[in-house]
Amino acid sequence: MDTHLAISGVGKTFGTHTVLAGIDLSVEKGEFVTLLGPSGCGKSTLLRIVAGLETPDAGALSIAARDVSRLPPEARNVALMFQSYALLPHMSVLENVRFPLRMQNRYPKPEQIERAAAALDLVQLVDLNDRFPRQLSGGQQQRVALARAIVAEPDVLLLDEPLSNLDAKLREAMQLELKSLHRQLGLTTVLVTHDQTEALALADTVVLMNDGRIVRQGSPRDVYARPDSVFAADFIGGANVLDLVVTRTGGGWQARMPDGTIVALAPDPRLGEGPMKFMLRKEAIRLAPEGGDVGGDAVAIDAIVETQNYLGGSTRLALRAGGLSLIALVETGPDAEAADAAVRIAWNAADLVPLPGDV
Amino acid sequence: MVGAAPRWMAPVALAFVAAIAFFMLVPLAVVVASSLSSSEFLVFPPRGFSLRWYGAVLQSDAYLAAAWTSIRLAVLTVVISLTLGTMAAIALTRFAIPGREAIASLFLSPLILPSLIFAIGLLMVFSIYGDGPSFTGLVIGHVVITIPYVVRTVSASLVDMDPNLDEAARMMGANWWQRYGLVILPQCRAGMAAGAFFAFNISFDDAVVALFMRAPSVETLPMRIYSTLEFSPNPSVAAVSTIMIGLTIVLVIALDRAFGLGKIM
Amino acid sequence: MLIAPGLIFLVLAFFFPALQMLGLSLIGEAGGLTLEHYAKVAVDNFYLGVAWRTLRLALVITLACLAIGFPLAIVIQRSAPAVRAALIIMIVLPLMTSVVIRTFGWLVILGPGGLLSWTLQNLGLISSPISLMHTETGVVIAMVQVLLPFMVLTTLGSLSRIPPDLDAAARTMGAGFFRAIGHVTLPLAIPGLLSGSLLVFALSISSFITPSLVGGVRLQVMATSIYQQVTGSFDWGFAAALSVLLLLVTLALVVPYMAAAARAGGRG
Repeated sequence: MDTHLAISGVGKTFGTHTVLAGIDLSVEKGEFVTLLGPSGCGKSTLLRIVAGLETPDAGALSIAARDVSRLPPEARNVALMFQSYALLPHMSVLENVRFPLRMQNRYPKPEQIERAAAALDLVQLVDLNDRFPRQLSGGQQQRVALARAIVAEPDVLLLDEPLSNLDAKLREAMQLELKSLHRQLGLTTVLVTHDQTEALALADTVVLMNDGRIVRQGSPRDVYARPDSVFAADFIGGANVLDLVVTRTGGGWQARMPDGTIVALAPDPRLGEGPMKFMLRKEAIRLAPEGGDVGGDAVAIDAIVETQNYLGGSTRLALRAGGLSLIALVETGPDAEAADAAVRIAWNAADLVPLPGDV
Repeated sequence: MVGAAPRWMAPVALAFVAAIAFFMLVPLAVVVASSLSSSEFLVFPPRGFSLRWYGAVLQSDAYLAAAWTSIRLAVLTVVISLTLGTMAAIALTRFAIPGREAIASLFLSPLILPSLIFAIGLLMVFSIYGDGPSFTGLVIGHVVITIPYVVRTVSASLVDMDPNLDEAARMMGANWWQRYGLVILPQCRAGMAAGAFFAFNISFDDAVVALFMRAPSVETLPMRIYSTLEFSPNPSVAAVSTIMIGLTIVLVIALDRAFGLGKIM
Repeated sequence: MLIAPGLIFLVLAFFFPALQMLGLSLIGEAGGLTLEHYAKVAVDNFYLGVAWRTLRLALVITLACLAIGFPLAIVIQRSAPAVRAALIIMIVLPLMTSVVIRTFGWLVILGPGGLLSWTLQNLGLISSPISLMHTETGVVIAMVQVLLPFMVLTTLGSLSRIPPDLDAAARTMGAGFFRAIGHVTLPLAIPGLLSGSLLVFALSISSFITPSLVGGVRLQVMATSIYQQVTGSFDWGFAAALSVLLLLVTLALVVPYMAAAARAGGRG
């Protein structure tokens, strides 16, 4: 356990509005953490606090076992890539990337230039060293900003919504590149995003925030499979939330849907008798042909299709089943096309996940 | 930001700003202080407290005549400048006239020329082709130097106006003078007020054009002050100046109350 | 059309006098086109001296305004909104009063019985009254107070167009407070500083009231010299020539200024 960045008890208030409260987070050396959450949840503020651009009202910060809480930004060895890129318009691309090395005065000038050029190479920006920011496309500017952030080998690399200004295709490509870059350089990284697919794709650890607090923290798979709260289930991946009543049955558990339909539940230590919320991912629901075998662990019930949206590879169905409204994302194929008023749907019992947390 | 500026920067910046504030305002403060002095000489610190100089000013024929001249001049300037300038601004922003950019620059060109040079030229013209400097010449001079301000502020108002308003009025059946009277001109109210304020202020405070177009019967208040300072300074000058400063402040406050300075400046 | 009255008026009242003056400067004593008036300026040491003094003072005034105006603009730019509004009012208020009044204030301050002398005596720095009246130093001090707002306002315009992220970025890249200003703020403020300097310089060389009252008859600058010619010697050809020269130098300064201002406004 090599804690590289330790955030303890950090809080921040703007006027009467509490933006962050009681934030505790430790990041290991070389770990890639994404701060994920809706607008206003405090993720950018937390990032800026780590950078030294905001002063916390409570709590402490340490980087590489050194207390940096009272250090100005230039004294912490962190790099921040701004959402607006903040490229210096009066300097060339190479000069922009060289700037952190100049300020830190660590190497002689020729070596600074070499290192800057190498960083630009790493982000796959060729032959643009002498251009100026205004002559570059958005995607190119973003790479320059990235090169500038990694060139000085910071203790912590901070990225503030680095891909949000790019179009969808470019964003996808950059996600792969960022992941590859992280593997190559092994920098401790904190990335802020409101895009949950981005968070899942890049992170070693996803930190989900809401209303100034950390709501769920864990590996992407863990957080996706067990969101533990309605908010997390909805924010990450979007899901059906079912209000069911749990009852014991012989050796196991089952749940009763509003119209009385009984469905089996997979064993889970969090189950208890009484009303409970459950998550069912849209892609977990599949169409089961009438009378067909659905498989051992599966649950099958009757449903009525209310609307269909053809999405290409998949089809979205709005269903009514068990007295509830459900949304399913099924593969487009002969079964989907045949769907009309009455169908039979199925899911694996383990896909009906309890949500014990509130909200 | 943590440690945004070095600790010692705050008191230093404060001292610096205070020093500059003092430097900028002390001439005005000194003028006001001197006006309350009871002595006959302009010395510092002012000796005694007295309002006698205000009394002297208010009873002085020369000052009252000069004040009247200044006010007449400023009002005439504002009326003419506002009329010509507003018409020009409307023409420039609403119609696509050939050479619009060039004409707009022409209207703003008096701003480029220092008033000194213009004043000399004006004096020469009036002396060669007329009887020399006169009140009319002064009005003309002031209108020239104030028109650019009116054109600029009214244009800014018009540019901000929602273009749909005029079209809506047209569709509702208004003819051209109804549109201008009821829709367009009211929209430029703020711009016209700002332009009128600048025109009045510039005309009232102007010393250079007034100096060159000085004629025996035509003496403005700044000219009176200038002459007194040249030859026989005494605190009555301070009293007049203080009254002028007060007038300016009242105008600024009135403008702010009516329109809100933020919108205009 | 609407344009016509204003345009005709301007042509008659503004351009015609300007042309008239140009014409006058080119017509000699005996009638007929000549450059003799201009030649008179070039050979007469007195007028060369006046021109040199005018330029020299303008340069000192401009540099002083730069040195004071840039830090002041930065402080104003980085202050809280309420403070910023107050500071801008403080800067702009003197502009709203007549230059005669402001200069009068300086007479009281700089004169032998004035505020400056009194303060220095009371602080024990000097033993007998001094006066900065009729000195170049006095003129410079008064002119800086009159022209500083122009420098500050143009610089503020430039500063407000710099994205705030840039300074923050420089700080996270290892630059301290001063280095961030030096490497980022200053280079990006140069357009505003340049146009402010051009404006202040142009206003300085054509300034009349302040040099006339503070400097006095013996400390002539171009403007007071021209006034002398027009009202004293009635040598209008010569006065016209001096004016045209002043106009040309002013145009050479102001045209780039307006071009720069227009460019900055368009891009911003």
